[in-house]
Amino acid sequence: MTNDVIFIGAIFAMMCIGLYCVTQKSMIRILLGVEIILNAGNFAIVYFASYHVAQGFVDPLGQSLAFMSIILGGSIIAVGLALIVNAYKQFKTTDVDEMRRLKW
Amino acid sequence: MVMGLELLFMFSPFAVVLFGLLSERFKVAKLKESVAILLSAFSLFSVWQLYTMLQASPTKILVVTLGGAPPLGACFEIDMLSLYMAFSAALLGLFATIYSYSYMAHDTRLTEYYTLLSALVVGIIGVSFAGDFFTLFVFWELMGITSYVLVAFRKENWGSIEAGFKYMVMGAVGSTLLLIGIALIYGLAGTVNFAQISTALRGQPMSLWLYLVFAVLVVGFGIKSAIVPMHTWLPDAHSEAPSPISAMLSGILIETALYGFIRVAYLIYEPSTFALPFVVLAVITMTLGNLMALRQNDLKRMLAYSSIAQIGYILIGISTGLVYGLLGTFLHIFNHMLMKGVAFLSVGNLIHRTGSRDLDKMQGLGRMMPITTLALSVSLLGLGGVPGTSGFISKFILFSSALEANLSILAIIGVLNSTLSMAYYLRVIITLLGTKTSEGIVVKEAPFLMVAVPVVMTLLIIAFGVYPDLILSFASDASKALIEGLANYIGVVIR
Repeated sequence: MTNDVIFIGAIFAMMCIGLYCVTQKSMIRILLGVEIILNAGNFAIVYFASYHVAQGFVDPLGQSLAFMSIILGGSIIAVGLALIVNAYKQFKTTDVDEMRRLKW
Repeated sequence: MVMGLELLFMFSPFAVVLFGLLSERFKVAKLKESVAILLSAFSLFSVWQLYTMLQASPTKILVVTLGGAPPLGACFEIDMLSLYMAFSAALLGLFATIYSYSYMAHDTRLTEYYTLLSALVVGIIGVSFAGDFFTLFVFWELMGITSYVLVAFRKENWGSIEAGFKYMVMGAVGSTLLLIGIALIYGLAGTVNFAQISTALRGQPMSLWLYLVFAVLVVGFGIKSAIVPMHTWLPDAHSEAPSPISAMLSGILIETALYGFIRVAYLIYEPSTFALPFVVLAVITMTLGNLMALRQNDLKRMLAYSSIAQIGYILIGISTGLVYGLLGTFLHIFNHMLMKGVAFLSVGNLIHRTGSRDLDKMQGLGRMMPITTLALSVSLLGLGGVPGTSGFISKFILFSSALEANLSILAIIGVLNSTLSMAYYLRVIITLLGTKTSEGIVVKEAPFLMVAVPVVMTLLIIAFGVYPDLILSFASDASKALIEGLANYIGVVIR
């Protein structure tokens, strides 16, 4: 029970930190926030895998899902970095407030 | 059992990239476009082949295991509903690829474009075939990542970059929430296979955990399917993407996300559990979508908000929880795919010729581009639900299913919203056909393929509006497979 509180609290805290970063102005910070949120998801998978212990080992299914999710998260971050590079090439800044065009 | 050859189309992105590189190396013109079109036709053919196999199989479900039996190995579990979604995706994918042949002819980096487009179609089909959360999540991300890149494809425009970045951030948060939902379900049930999850969790009393799972799943799937208030990425992404991609995103991607939710929700919960939240979501989604569309001057943005409104109509069917309501939902998914496909593609023609998305600069274009305008008008009338088009049939079923489920308030709001939506659809038609002409605009009709694709789709809209039996029976089979075939769906995996 105490384990539950600690780990689920940690997952929740990671989500909150990530969401806070997403509301920042710099595109790099937003991307870091996304990365933290993605890791909260991976962490949740690994933690809930530990609920299912068979023959002294943690169920490998959750672990493999977490591995796959890490790879997919990496691809998302790569796409995001490519977008930031393109934005910087054109505007010489990565501040989202200075560049906002699309409204409503 | 499936031999695997029918699923060969899932590797088509690799073939497209191979032929694309070859055609660049040896300077063969139009090779990659032709290969992409052939492969998307092959996807449609494979889906049809799977359909005939499904009809022949005794259980009406095909299970394809990948790397071992279901508890540990991943699997595709293909029933009528999966095939229905896959058919819609493959059909629209074929149309979008053919259309891109002309529309994207002046762009560079076409190898990347066609590879990503075919990967997007494969991702959507994979999500609809998935038989466990592992497969679902992998194809979900394939669908997501390809669409982020495709939205930002014209990277020389600032708008594309901003829309792509916004979509990427929201999409990534959404898929993480989905992942957390998967983790919670995995913690509760000890497996990620749909059938085993259903035996473990369905029918249990609603605990705090199950409510949490529900909330996380609604937000996780809801961000991709643009349910208000999680819709803010959609108007940007749909208006800034190249037109064939807008058609793909609006026509099938957001509906696939909704399909994912329906599939998972029916496995875990009784339909009555999620009726009320979806009534609320349906009302605010359609009302806000229509109200925001009214004040748009940008044609593609207007259509994007109209997509949100249509998602609201589709949610009506889910909130009823009846087979009849889900029939309306799936029928509207198919019809919306056709109608919004035509709308975005013919708006693409107008943009291609005038170079502007502004409605005020398109006055009187109807006389110069008559066929495009005709296709656009039919699709807009269909979206508004005018009888004679397929949009009328599905909207009628949706609203009458709301009455049948004693949710008359939902039907009333739906009809009012439908009327409201005609205000901006008719405004487009009047602007295009009016006698006033914008200054200095002299254009001719778009190239042959760019006209032919919307015209064929328009003919389909009218055909399914006048003679709906064919698609109606397919949609009815799909909705029955979801509710009445649930025990069968579980039983095939767990013997």
